[in-house]
Amino acid sequence: MKKVNNDVQTREQYNLEIHRFGRLFTIISIGLIIMVPIAYCIAAGVIPDFKALAKCIPFVLGYFAIGLVEAISYAPLLGTGGQYMSFITGNISNMKLPCSINSQSIAKVKQGSEEQELVSTISIAVSTITTTIIIAVGLIPLFIFREQIVNVLNPISPYVIPAIFGGLTVALVAKYYKTAAIPFAACIILCVVANLLGFGKVFDQSTMVILGMVISGISTFILYKKNRI
Amino acid sequence: MPQSYPILYILGALIALAVIVMSVFFILKAFRRAKAIGMDTKILKETIKNSAIFSIVPSIPIVIGIGIMMQYLGIAIPWIRLTVIGALQYELLSMDTAAQALRSISPDYSYQVLIANAVIVMTVSILSGPVFNAILYKKYQTKLADLQKKNSRLMDAITGALLGGMLSGMLSAILVGGIFTVGSPATYTGGINNYGEIILITLAASVVIMALFGVLLVVFKQKWVENYALPVTILGALAIAYAFVPVFEAKYASTDIVGLIANIAPFIG
Repeated sequence: MKKVNNDVQTREQYNLEIHRFGRLFTIISIGLIIMVPIAYCIAAGVIPDFKALAKCIPFVLGYFAIGLVEAISYAPLLGTGGQYMSFITGNISNMKLPCSINSQSIAKVKQGSEEQELVSTISIAVSTITTTIIIAVGLIPLFIFREQIVNVLNPISPYVIPAIFGGLTVALVAKYYKTAAIPFAACIILCVVANLLGFGKVFDQSTMVILGMVISGISTFILYKKNRI
Repeated sequence: MPQSYPILYILGALIALAVIVMSVFFILKAFRRAKAIGMDTKILKETIKNSAIFSIVPSIPIVIGIGIMMQYLGIAIPWIRLTVIGALQYELLSMDTAAQALRSISPDYSYQVLIANAVIVMTVSILSGPVFNAILYKKYQTKLADLQKKNSRLMDAITGALLGGMLSGMLSAILVGGIFTVGSPATYTGGINNYGEIILITLAASVVIMALFGVLLVVFKQKWVENYALPVTILGALAIAYAFVPVFEAKYASTDIVGLIANIAPFIG
């Protein structure tokens, strides 16, 4: 361990700085994202159909609620910097979070420590840069060879998530089997019943992640109160 | 393919630039902080390497997503939408919702109005997460940090519960979704079949490959495998999935022919 510099800011001060810049980047990003439909309407010379848009309000509210639940539930897992970056760039459960967990597991950082926060921040930042570059670089070949690229790579795209989560489960099972056993059993039952009743598409991966977190929160709290974990 | 206007490419470039500047900024901040608290920066350098390697494969479906969305929205809008928060299925669902609403109100709508409405729906629906972060996250995170200080056991239980819940939800959806599509492949947007058998094979392959890495690490003390275990597991499992795609395509194609013959047999018999 290197010598600690006593003149440096405290963890709270560092966090406040991250919040300040995180909010700034978030506001800039929201501004740029909102500019996209406005720019399209001006460039194409069209006015949106506001009556039709009003009919989409229930859909918008539904996703608004999901977004809020996700922001609240992922926050303790992503760390301060990671939370700001992840909710600007997306792909949280299928990339950012597994990437961060993998890095934390390799670095062997303690849960809740500042080291964990730093490793998670760097991991999510690097993951964001990698994906942004791959997407930008992929645009030109995609523009020219769209059909060929989609035909070659598309057959494996439904299997990327099982490929990630099989391995990730093996890496984490020893650490989380106590808290995950009850929600896993409950989620399996819920999924089977939903599929048997014909609601399988509703209970897809994104819905089940949220439900799993809620069930796990309740069951873990009971175990915690009974001093079983 | 619908037209993409130059202003959209400029906006896309600005967004990609903002995302990269933000990420580089947070990396530099984290490095400085690590040095200040005496953390070994070698760990952080390793984190950079691991995270870059890890993120390559999961980026592939995003690029494919742009390829699929291009035919409906041109190239610039899918590029922007999949660079920021969003996902292929969500964007297509938004577009479908916007199209249904337009059809019910003004059936003779132009395709440009459809794109305008779809992009508005996509943009607004997904903003609650970033808006929460801009307004409320600081307060929420401060409360979480206080809880960590006062009762670290409870905070550890909460993070463990959220992680365990995320894994449970994802695994159950993969497993049960896979089992229920065995024998009846589901078709995704873009016309690609999702075979339940291959989902289960891929999941099993990923578990087995990772377990083998575990044996190498724990029993044979091969510490070097730790950094590459998950990325190599993902690639290995996907290679196995890729090998099985033509097998099941052929199987279901022949089943389709048998079914077709069975259906028309009474009429030609």
